[in-house]
Amino acid sequence: MSSAITLDGVSAGYRDRMVLDNFSLDVPEGTMLGILGPNGAGKTTLFKVLSGLLVPRSGSVTLFGQPVARLAPAERARLVAVVPQELDIPVAYTVQDVVMMGRTTSLSRWGQPSARDRQIVERAMVYTDVADIRDRPITELSGGERQRAIVALALAQKPRMILMDEATSHLDLNHRLEIMQLVERLNQENGVTVLLISHDLQLASEFCRRLVLLDAGRVVADGRPAAVLTEENLRRVYRCAVRVHEDAETGGLSILPAPRLPAARVGHGIGIHVVAGGGCGEDVLRRLSLCGYTVTCGVLNRGDLDAEVAAALGIETVLEQPFYAVGESAREAARQLAAKAEAIVLTSVPFGPGNLANLDLLERMQAAGKPVLVMEGIESRDYTPDRAAVRRVSELVTHGAAVWRDLADLLTRLPTAASHPADLP
Amino acid sequence: MKPAAPVPRQTHQTRMFWLVLGLTPVLLGLCVLMGAAGIGLPDWTTQPVILRLRLTRVLAGFLIGAALSCAGVVLQAILRNPLAEPYVLGVSSGAGLGAAVAILTGFSALGAFSVPLSSFVLAVLTLLTVYRLAGPGGSRPSVFGLILSGVMVSSVCSSLLMFLVSVAPIEGMHSVIWWTLGNLEVTSEALLAVGGGLSAAGCLAIWALSPELNAITLGHDMAHHLGVRVKVIVAVALGLATLITAASVAVAGLIGFVGLLVPHVMRTLVGPDHRRLVPAAALGGGAFLAVCDAVARTALNVEIPVGVVTALIGGPFFLFLLHRRRKAGGLE
Repeated sequence: MSSAITLDGVSAGYRDRMVLDNFSLDVPEGTMLGILGPNGAGKTTLFKVLSGLLVPRSGSVTLFGQPVARLAPAERARLVAVVPQELDIPVAYTVQDVVMMGRTTSLSRWGQPSARDRQIVERAMVYTDVADIRDRPITELSGGERQRAIVALALAQKPRMILMDEATSHLDLNHRLEIMQLVERLNQENGVTVLLISHDLQLASEFCRRLVLLDAGRVVADGRPAAVLTEENLRRVYRCAVRVHEDAETGGLSILPAPRLPAARVGHGIGIHVVAGGGCGEDVLRRLSLCGYTVTCGVLNRGDLDAEVAAALGIETVLEQPFYAVGESAREAARQLAAKAEAIVLTSVPFGPGNLANLDLLERMQAAGKPVLVMEGIESRDYTPDRAAVRRVSELVTHGAAVWRDLADLLTRLPTAASHPADLP
Repeated sequence: MKPAAPVPRQTHQTRMFWLVLGLTPVLLGLCVLMGAAGIGLPDWTTQPVILRLRLTRVLAGFLIGAALSCAGVVLQAILRNPLAEPYVLGVSSGAGLGAAVAILTGFSALGAFSVPLSSFVLAVLTLLTVYRLAGPGGSRPSVFGLILSGVMVSSVCSSLLMFLVSVAPIEGMHSVIWWTLGNLEVTSEALLAVGGGLSAAGCLAIWALSPELNAITLGHDMAHHLGVRVKVIVAVALGLATLITAASVAVAGLIGFVGLLVPHVMRTLVGPDHRRLVPAAALGGGAFLAVCDAVARTALNVEIPVGVVTALIGGPFFLFLLHRRRKAGGLE
């Protein structure tokens, strides 16, 4: 099979920013290829290079054996069609008018379209199921109908290759599948090469036998869906954890963000006392409140970021005067609050001489038999002259305090209704 | 099932096209009949001069109306904005300044081509300036950038024109002022022949670009994908629009609203396909301006500048259209 696309050492970009860097890719004719990657990875730039909109700074671009720079515009339009994510059409052309524009290069200037042009347009409209709405103005169509008309416009070019730039991302599930099946049929029956950019990894893995994963203008992975969409590749490129599950029977991939945070209201009003400060407790306070825990907090200085968040969330908080070290009365109040809680959480608050007293609270509660959870990495947050905080937190851990990594991890370690029979009906 | 299937849009638009085509000669004929002395054809054996004046005047109205309307169609297609018009881009003001310079310096005495030439040169310079200001560093300017810099450059041109008028000798001044309000009184048949000829040729050339103009309304990128040499077509079409605007300004001065109003109306009647829209806009624009001029000549005892009539009819009608569109859910 000959090559539809050969990119060799292509560097391309804009005025002050190179997007594709020494990029090479070979796509045999008749392939259905999915191009994936985060925003800014170079997917759209790649399409611009392929369609001749952007002239690369260096390297060669060859389409069906011919350098793209040397293709006449009319010739190029017969090789490559582009279906954009959205086409803003400011005037009320009818669907048929729009599809007929696929024949722009062969239309007669004044006369009626030739029989051949009419036949091609007719077939494109039938194929995409817009023949019934040919007289409707394109401005009055629904998103799905509109996008089908744009696909018909692309088909009317009779191209050997179609570039779909997130062409289905505005559509609902049903229309998305419909357009994908249509394109798949073109690929299988007519041997049209299809490249599609999609943010829907699952959809791409379902319809494409080959995927290319881009990041920062380079190919990170290229191959079968199962080989490209690995948890490791996706974590590296999208910088967030995902879980990929391969269905044993169908071989289909399902991709979910992971780990999922527990559903709201698992807290059932269980009391949690949080030791925070300086804004580091914001996420913890918000998430625990959302999950239905009865959160208390302290000791904080008045005006502290966390104190403001706590006030906004209606969290009972023990406050000390601004810029003062934690005094005895605040300490006592915090002890009373914490005594009512089921567990004590230490967030990533930095320690200095002023708030070291909060560690007393944790030690006392641990002594009283309450679970204590401390966030890892105290070494980097200890600003006391003699590293007292590191010593005392380590002490807490040796006496059984749990160490938590991130919010999701913390939530799995907190008591829930299931582990708390008193709350069950 | 659709309730009571209406006439297919395509068929309706075709009918409207033939209606415009058929109605134009009728309206032009009526314009010839309308004179200061009432409705009626002057006796060509006893009053051959009056008949000739009336015929050339209707012809001038038709050609200039057609040109202004076609220029509007082109600018609207390329800027993809129904509000674009020769005035918006400052092309008319530039052309007006050019014509005024030619008239006041006596350059116009050199021949029928001199005023249109001077207009064209300044209109092109204006357009290039507007384009340059709108897109710094050679990047493609945005529509808003173009319109904004068009308005600014246009007001600078108008100020220069007013400056020229205020320092001009008294005889010249009256003709320039009369002419900035738009005037179809043919002072020189040679000028009309040159200006009208250029306008007619320009409109035909624009009509020939219809398939490309259609594609360009889908966006410059999409037109590129459809095989259009976008840069070349945009340059040629803007050049043609500038040329016919300059030619009409040279003949009849500054007449507003034709390029904005007529394409709007024609688009709702015959549809936005340029193969039909361009001829319909040309015929409709021509008939519209000829009728406005007939009204300007005959409505009152004194003659009113035709630009005043087009603005008085065009302004409220445009507002009405705008209001209706907004109620129907957004501008086209």
